[in-house]
Amino acid sequence: MPELTVENLHLRYGDNEILKGVAMTLSRGEVVSLLGPSGSGKTTLLRAVAGLEVPHAGRILIGDKVVFDGAKDVDIPAEGRNLGLVFQSYALWPHKTVFDNVAYGLRLRRAGRDAIGQRVRAALDQLSLGHLAERFPHQLSGGQQQRVALARALVYNPPVILLDEPLSNLDAKLREEARAWLRELIMRMQLSALCVTHDQAEALAMSDRILLLNGGRIEQQGTPQQMYSAPETLFTADFMGSNNRLPGRVAEIRDGAALLEGQGFRLWGTAKKGAAPGGDGVGMIRLEQIRIAEGPGDNRLAADLSTSMYLGDKWEHLFHVGDARLRAYGSEPLAAGRHWLELPKQAFWVF
Amino acid sequence: MASIAKPTLPVAAERNGLALLAGVPRALTIVLTAAVVLAPLSLIVYQSLLSAPFFDAVKKVGIDAYAFIFSDPDFWSALVNSLLIAAGMTLIAVPLGGVLAFVMERTDFPGKRIIEPLLLVPSFVSPMVLSFGYVVAAGPVGFYSVLATKLFGGIPWGLYSLPAMAVIAGLTHVPNVYIYASSALKNLGSDVEEAARVAGASPFRVAISVSLPLIMPALLFSAVLIFFLGLELFGLPLVLGDPEGHLVLSTYLYKLTNKLGTPSYHLMAAVAVCIVALTIPLVLLQRRLLQNVRKYATIKGKAGRIRELPLGRWKWLAVALVGLWLFVAVIVPLTGIALRAFVTNWGFGVSLAEAFTLNNFHEVFNEPTDVRAIINTVLLGTVGGALTVACYTAIGFATHRRNDGWSRIVDYLVLIPRAVPGLLIGLAFLWVFLFFPPLRPLRETIFSMWLAYTVVWLAYGMRLISSSLLQVSTELEEAARTIGAARGRISREITLPLIRHGLLGSWLLVFMIFEREYSTGVYLLAPGTEVIGAELVSLWQGGAIDVVAALSLINILLVFVGLAIALRFGVRLRD
Repeated sequence: MPELTVENLHLRYGDNEILKGVAMTLSRGEVVSLLGPSGSGKTTLLRAVAGLEVPHAGRILIGDKVVFDGAKDVDIPAEGRNLGLVFQSYALWPHKTVFDNVAYGLRLRRAGRDAIGQRVRAALDQLSLGHLAERFPHQLSGGQQQRVALARALVYNPPVILLDEPLSNLDAKLREEARAWLRELIMRMQLSALCVTHDQAEALAMSDRILLLNGGRIEQQGTPQQMYSAPETLFTADFMGSNNRLPGRVAEIRDGAALLEGQGFRLWGTAKKGAAPGGDGVGMIRLEQIRIAEGPGDNRLAADLSTSMYLGDKWEHLFHVGDARLRAYGSEPLAAGRHWLELPKQAFWVF
Repeated sequence: MASIAKPTLPVAAERNGLALLAGVPRALTIVLTAAVVLAPLSLIVYQSLLSAPFFDAVKKVGIDAYAFIFSDPDFWSALVNSLLIAAGMTLIAVPLGGVLAFVMERTDFPGKRIIEPLLLVPSFVSPMVLSFGYVVAAGPVGFYSVLATKLFGGIPWGLYSLPAMAVIAGLTHVPNVYIYASSALKNLGSDVEEAARVAGASPFRVAISVSLPLIMPALLFSAVLIFFLGLELFGLPLVLGDPEGHLVLSTYLYKLTNKLGTPSYHLMAAVAVCIVALTIPLVLLQRRLLQNVRKYATIKGKAGRIRELPLGRWKWLAVALVGLWLFVAVIVPLTGIALRAFVTNWGFGVSLAEAFTLNNFHEVFNEPTDVRAIINTVLLGTVGGALTVACYTAIGFATHRRNDGWSRIVDYLVLIPRAVPGLLIGLAFLWVFLFFPPLRPLRETIFSMWLAYTVVWLAYGMRLISSSLLQVSTELEEAARTIGAARGRISREITLPLIRHGLLGSWLLVFMIFEREYSTGVYLLAPGTEVIGAELVSLWQGGAIDVVAALSLINILLVFVGLAIALRFGVRLRD
């Protein structure tokens, strides 16, 4: 049985429809990320699950308990849903110490004094915050505040923990460390987590499953590998990873392969949804999949080097092919002029 | 980890049973608010439609009262005077307040931080006291008039004319404009101005084409506000209009009793309805304009560090202008009162040393009524002020983070008293206490005064409370909800502790306005309910100048104690 089930959820602000029929499940011990551009409804979905937004149709179940049902007018308020939510801003109460921030959920549940002390201390120790119990939030660093917010949401063992952009308030370097730490913590504590993020790298690294939202609908869902390597739609392909786009015409489709013709190229790629012979098509390939070749050959095209950028561990080269621009990685600088680029058939998707 | 991995602790279940009761405090708050706001007002309207006071045995429903006042030429001249004074003071206060705000917020004017609290003084001192100050300082035998006569051989001003009243009202209302214009300028980040400068505009062009247009909504709002306050004026025309017989609407109403010799409540009510009919549209207009001000506040740039514009050789002109205003609006009336409180009499050929006396204060402290007035005023400000803030906070919580119909009703309820001058609310409460027998025993207690004060300042107080509440980020409350706290508990344990400094500041501000208030108490004044403000009106009518001077000085001192504490604790004197 899933810990969390969302069925056909609709939500609007005034006339503005934010969620247009979203469905998802979250199983025990699973981390699911809600990914999408801003305005796609991912935070709204999270807040609807928490009970902070009221949908107008659909159902939300936590375990087997219905917490929202638009048809039956069931709407258990946020305080009755027994979930843990970590806010993007952390939302620590500035007038309470770290201890009191974390203890509040237990006090609301009428735990005894000793039990509260014991559980809060265990939670703080777990997150290496034991020595900060008497501090106030403003005396903590950003990373420490984030961990207090986590401890506050975890201490009463909610069946599902909701994370709203948990890493976005940390600076770039700290964020990668925190990402690894958070993933490890979730695994070790066997938490079931629903996590909102707009950063595809974060979603890939953190989750067992990704839900990509687009304009209030789920565009595609799957494991990080599926999302990255087998996108079903152009939107998914474009959103995940760094990409090159080649517009052209689909000349032929044969055995799941499509031939894309354009200004200065004629390439075979994997045919995807939407590609039809004789119609316009878009070819898409990840930057890291383009190989710089020595000469002409199968599935290669000639391109003029425009400029090169040094990234530290590699070079990024910018080429022009007709009106289109292609970017590719290389291990060494290239001479100015014309070069041959190979776009492997299985990595070149035609939509 | 083992200790955390215990089974889930569900939220305490018994609270669900109490869920039905959760709405009770809110409903009670809304009903009580509606009662205290609407009861006095409906009584005024009802009374205005009767042909005699409501307690008379013989009365009939009709528009006799309106017919009477509309046929009275004094009413029309009072109306015209009110409109003229309101327009005049708007024309004076708005440009001056705007310039003052620009000088204080955007330029390197010397000693700004010290001068700023002084600029607000006229808005903290009772208009009754200020007007009295002008009489003793600049009236025919005032201190400055005597001085001027010595220097120039005559007094180059006449204090009791309509234009003089408009000028004085205009000058003393400059702070009201200054407050709105300067906070608009403060919110206006330098970035929008710098963008214009980088694009090639001179500082002068920047002010004309960027800064001023961006604070236009605030200036427009304050213009409507000043006009509205002009229609409400009572103390100033009472003191300064009397000698030459100039009436405005509020003094016309006040003098109706004298005119007819009998309690003509139905006529007073009809005048009151006319005043409210003028002010309600203005209040609604203000509300619209204020939303406009806020809208602008979100468009323009980030409020960053503000770079000061060097005044250069204009500095001395600015200093002279601000100094002159401070002299006329603050120093003249206040020194007048301070001097008058310590002399037996004043006139040509009287020297300060000869006339010096402490007798005025002896007189105040030997008169039980005056002593009670001082004690009551202090109690009303401190204990009453705290209770008032508690009531306002309860109303604030009734609408906090709730966007339903009830909240909108409360929004309007709170706005209504804003449109009714304190004089009228006091009158209406007098009637309420007379009309409802169960309330009669409260009539001669300070409670009646407290209730009227609390209703009069409802809109002002709610602005203070809601600006505190708005500073609490939504997420802090949502965090408590997701953890399992119900609404009442969040209010008590999260929101209330977070706004405690704001509430303390509100208490101090309410203390100051309660010390300053005078018109609300005029009709509620009775043995047991004496307050300084209303006592001053009554004593002034009786011509007891010596006592008025001493009590006025005591009143000013009380306000200044509040001001000093507020400044000490860094309370923002404006919202």
